[in-house]
Amino acid sequence: MAKRVAIVGVGLTRATSHRVDVSYPELVYEAVSGALEQAGLQAGDIEAVAYGSMDPFDGVFAPERWNVEACAGAGVANLPLMKITTGGTTGGSTALAGYYHVASGMFDVVLAVASQRVGESLEAQLVLNTAVDPIYERWQGAGAITIAALQGVKHFWRYGTTEEDLALIAVKNYENARRNPYAHLMRMLTVEDALNTRVVSWPLRLSDCCPSSDGAVAVIFAAEKRARAIADQPAWITGAGQITDNYWAGDRTWYEDWDSLSMLARRVYRQAKIENPLVELDVAELYNAFSIQEIIEYEALGFCEKGKGAELIRNGVTTMQGDLPVCPSGGVLCTNPIGATGLIRVAEAALQVMGKAEDRQVPDVRKALAHAWGAVIGFHTLMVLSSEAP
Amino acid sequence: MSAKVAIVGIGQTALRTSADDRIYHEHDYEAARLALADAGLDRGDVDTVICSGWDAVDGRTISDMHTAMSSGGYLKDSSHVGEDGIMALAYAYMRIAAGLFDVAMVTAHGHAESSFETVSNVVFDPLFVRPLGQSHLVSLALQANAYAHRYGVSDEQAAGVVVKNRGNGAVNPRTHLRSSVTPEDVLSSDPVCYPLRALHCPPQSVGGVALVLCSEEMTRRISEKPVWVTGIAWAIDSYDLGSKDLTSLSSLSSAAQKAYGMAGISDPLRALDLAELHDITPFHELLAYEALGLAPEGGASRLVEAGDTARGGRLPVNPSGGVVCGNPYGAAGLLRAAEAALQLRGEAGQGQVPGPERALAHGMSAPSGAAARTDCVVIMEGG
Repeated sequence: MAKRVAIVGVGLTRATSHRVDVSYPELVYEAVSGALEQAGLQAGDIEAVAYGSMDPFDGVFAPERWNVEACAGAGVANLPLMKITTGGTTGGSTALAGYYHVASGMFDVVLAVASQRVGESLEAQLVLNTAVDPIYERWQGAGAITIAALQGVKHFWRYGTTEEDLALIAVKNYENARRNPYAHLMRMLTVEDALNTRVVSWPLRLSDCCPSSDGAVAVIFAAEKRARAIADQPAWITGAGQITDNYWAGDRTWYEDWDSLSMLARRVYRQAKIENPLVELDVAELYNAFSIQEIIEYEALGFCEKGKGAELIRNGVTTMQGDLPVCPSGGVLCTNPIGATGLIRVAEAALQVMGKAEDRQVPDVRKALAHAWGAVIGFHTLMVLSSEAP
Repeated sequence: MSAKVAIVGIGQTALRTSADDRIYHEHDYEAARLALADAGLDRGDVDTVICSGWDAVDGRTISDMHTAMSSGGYLKDSSHVGEDGIMALAYAYMRIAAGLFDVAMVTAHGHAESSFETVSNVVFDPLFVRPLGQSHLVSLALQANAYAHRYGVSDEQAAGVVVKNRGNGAVNPRTHLRSSVTPEDVLSSDPVCYPLRALHCPPQSVGGVALVLCSEEMTRRISEKPVWVTGIAWAIDSYDLGSKDLTSLSSLSSAAQKAYGMAGISDPLRALDLAELHDITPFHELLAYEALGLAPEGGASRLVEAGDTARGGRLPVNPSGGVVCGNPYGAAGLLRAAEAALQLRGEAGQGQVPGPERALAHGMSAPSGAAARTDCVVIMEGG
């Protein structure tokens, strides 16, 4: 059966709209060198690389090729390198690939790297529009924002969620991001400010939508024996998986409920032996590219009943002081280098378990959840990290 | 390595020049259906799906939104490699070896809706190399020239590789170009990019390839003709063409050494009964012989001249006709594994090598040609 695997090192980069101060390989090196330094490892300790990015969002195709030496000198050392692309879940899928590299027993120390320079793409939403069917759906302008707005409209209509609830989500994430030196948006936001920002696609206002960022992240996965030697407190993977929903946006029944995520959560919680996620999880890093999605994710992930997601934020349950802090990093709402974002969720969750999240640390984290969605809300990935080996 | 993984289903669509009747992911669908039927399994038996391909070549983003569905991935655990399909095979192998999945579907497609040459220019860094017109083919031509120049490989010797492979392809109904050529045909074909001529270069083929992989326990239960993966490894080389030795394939050597180690092979020329190699050009088939330890450095063309790698030779290479006969970009590497597995099952038809027990499949995943190319080596044995 699967070997025990843990995360032993994390490297994050500063994120801005356009990191003009570094070339692409330099950006990736910033993340990789950070992870190696945190783990106390040398480039020569890395046995394989899993690399994630979404090509059409960069100004370069297959950027893992240009960046190959930034990944612990992978090209010169002829390391195994595998490129992963699955839309917004790319980072989550890259974490899963890193995990399977080690779980297979073929490798002991594996580097998962993900990067994106959205600042070099023409316009991210134009690129995303090419994901949907060219004949039936593309002309409608479908992309991430419009799909998220549909989720919002249905959630408002069915469950009575309001624009004020979305503003509460935005305010919580903006406040958290101010304690995270790797966040992109780091400014004060009040509920009044949020409700005064312009409407992007109703009911989503500007403060309900993520920025597009340049950034990279690196995470080192290790087999049990190496993990115990490298890290005082490794972040053990106790549950992991992906789910694939159907392609046609119109064929999906779940806009307000996100049942595919519920299905995946049940599978992953079973692996991780979690029965009551609200009680057992200490922190969650969710893929809240749009504020409404964080509310729907609370419900789909079983933090509350369907339709009750807004109550969690109204009651402060998911703030830093609450029972289950969600996105101490500020989440995707404040930082979104698309292909890297899912791996940043895993990295942040691992830092929480390892006790290395600095100013954004939640006290005594034993179990953390990392989530990503992608593919015009068709894919989800989840990973549960724990302070104790499975 | 105690985990055993087998190929239990093979699906290939007919390769052709164009396909106006279908969109790219329908090739994955057709191949996946064929592979499931071949394995005697239903979609419900599959528990993980790994798709492959390059979004920039597919002309869209997140192509696995489509291909994961077409490959039977609905509500399942899927992933996608931005690589040739051979790397999807490598990923599926790891998922099964981890003991977390029993049945994996691996798919790849090639289509003619975009120019691989044009797109591959954008792999190169925008500051120094891209403005020179560098591309997949141009970088491969530079490598071919460096190799031929260093070791004195003649035009006639390169033509010999093409003649061998096209002759093999002529009797393979599954490939794209099914006609043999003479050395004179090759030598008089148009120059494309020195030293490459038109008949050195593969076609851009349309079609799909799918394999079903199974855990040992599941294989024993459902398959009467498994092909066991006994060695698998992959490696990437460096990106900057100006700072590496172009006259050898270090990524392929590295992958081969690891795969041989896993499979317990010390003398590949003796241990292997056939090989399916990613002959993106004839010079690269020769380079591959050397990287795989089948010939000393610079000595590969003598194997071809002696007929050692012909279908009736000591180690038949590309009995299917290879990539020069059929090249669905993005699926050509996985197709090598499919063809090698067919050989081990004794189902390769007129191109069958007599009674092979152990085969090598080599796939190249290289959107940027000779720069940062990935090589994957799979050793397989019949049941």
